[in-house]
Amino acid sequence: MYLIRVILISLFIFSQAQADTIYNLIKIPNLEIYNIKSQNKLRYLYAERPFTLGIKKNINCYNSEKNILDQKYQIIKRNLDKYSKEFLKKINLKYIVMCEDLSISKINTAGIPDHVTKTLILDIKFNENYFERVIHHEVFHIINDSFKELFNEVVWSNFNVKEFRYAECSTCTNKLGLNTNKSTKGFFTEYSESTPSEDMAEVFSHLMVGVKLNNVDPILEKKIQFIKTNLLKIDKNFIL
Amino acid sequence: MIEKIKPSRSEKIIFSFVIILAIFSFGSFFLIKNKCFFVKNYNPQKMIFNDPKNIAILNITCGNVIIKLYPDISPESVKRFKKLVRSNAYDDIAFHRVIKGTLVQAGDLEFGKKGSIDYGKIGTGKSGLGTINSEIDTPFSFDRGSVGLVRAQNYNTEDSQFFILLRDEPLYESEYTPIGKVIYGLEALEKIKYLDKSQYVLRPDFINSLRMLIN
Repeated sequence: MYLIRVILISLFIFSQAQADTIYNLIKIPNLEIYNIKSQNKLRYLYAERPFTLGIKKNINCYNSEKNILDQKYQIIKRNLDKYSKEFLKKINLKYIVMCEDLSISKINTAGIPDHVTKTLILDIKFNENYFERVIHHEVFHIINDSFKELFNEVVWSNFNVKEFRYAECSTCTNKLGLNTNKSTKGFFTEYSESTPSEDMAEVFSHLMVGVKLNNVDPILEKKIQFIKTNLLKIDKNFIL
Repeated sequence: MIEKIKPSRSEKIIFSFVIILAIFSFGSFFLIKNKCFFVKNYNPQKMIFNDPKNIAILNITCGNVIIKLYPDISPESVKRFKKLVRSNAYDDIAFHRVIKGTLVQAGDLEFGKKGSIDYGKIGTGKSGLGTINSEIDTPFSFDRGSVGLVRAQNYNTEDSQFFILLRDEPLYESEYTPIGKVIYGLEALEKIKYLDKSQYVLRPDFINSLRMLIN
């Protein structure tokens, strides 16, 4: 007991008031700068050590090996370079946090967007088959959160056939498949059928990675036009 | 008859050691007590500036800190800062937040005044002039010596508080409104009182005066 007391007192005495600039800005600990000199002013950060977030400490992510980080950074940057500085400012995205095995309440997730802190956390070990697409998918959530009034879910839901119903939430359903449907029938992927916002994000991400759109059905065509029209309302120079 | 006794060799050595120890102790005491001993004090009246109407002189315990203001980069923020400086509002205001080697922060006119400091509220005080909008669109390199306006969690909440960087902080660009840079006297800021265990300083150092070179 005495030894523990001595250790605790020593920690208290010798721990200095440190300036953790990144934590002060985006409230995520254990991050370091990867690159902050990008053309569109995005700041790329990486987890130097694992971190835990949230009031219930239910968000976890881990640090990566440098070679994986270097490799994935190139892919992430190549995709995010598609967004202009002006557009990113309008949607409130500034910080990209790279880490691996990202999870919320032990459910793995590709990314966590937060337009309030202007931050997108990306799991760099997410399934490689969809990795580039999920980057844009998560960016759409930032767009959607920043411009809720433009992406009206009732209007969007009405594009679908009358009998169709979305799930209550994206994790309340088993429809998690991310493969692009060969026959679209109003949805790009199985995951699109989970919620309106995930559906919108799937349409957006398919457009951003330039998936060939042969034989697009009328429902999906309406959804594509909805996304394009509203993006132009945010930034008239946005090119899809 | 008193016989003179010559000191032995060992006595001479001990005597010399005591003298040296006394000099060393006195010198150390003097240096420790006077934290400004090696800090150069700049006299702005004897200096020539390119743009004298945008030079502010911050006088603190260890001397003058000369700040060049940038109205071209942040016109409204510099205007606010000059207005407060010209009304002597910053006199006797505490450096209430100091992080060693990183930054010093002052300018809480409501709760940071010498003699009436409110440690429970310091850092949240207002000037009474209202908040102003953030001016963060112009590229600015937040390197050592940069002076910026403090804001709350949200943008457009700048008022009277300002910070001066003691190290480069590139992430501050487009986060905080820059108003100027220290061109002389940064070493005096490094002597401002800080605490090891807290960013907020108990019994802090104060601004003696903050004036424009030309009023």
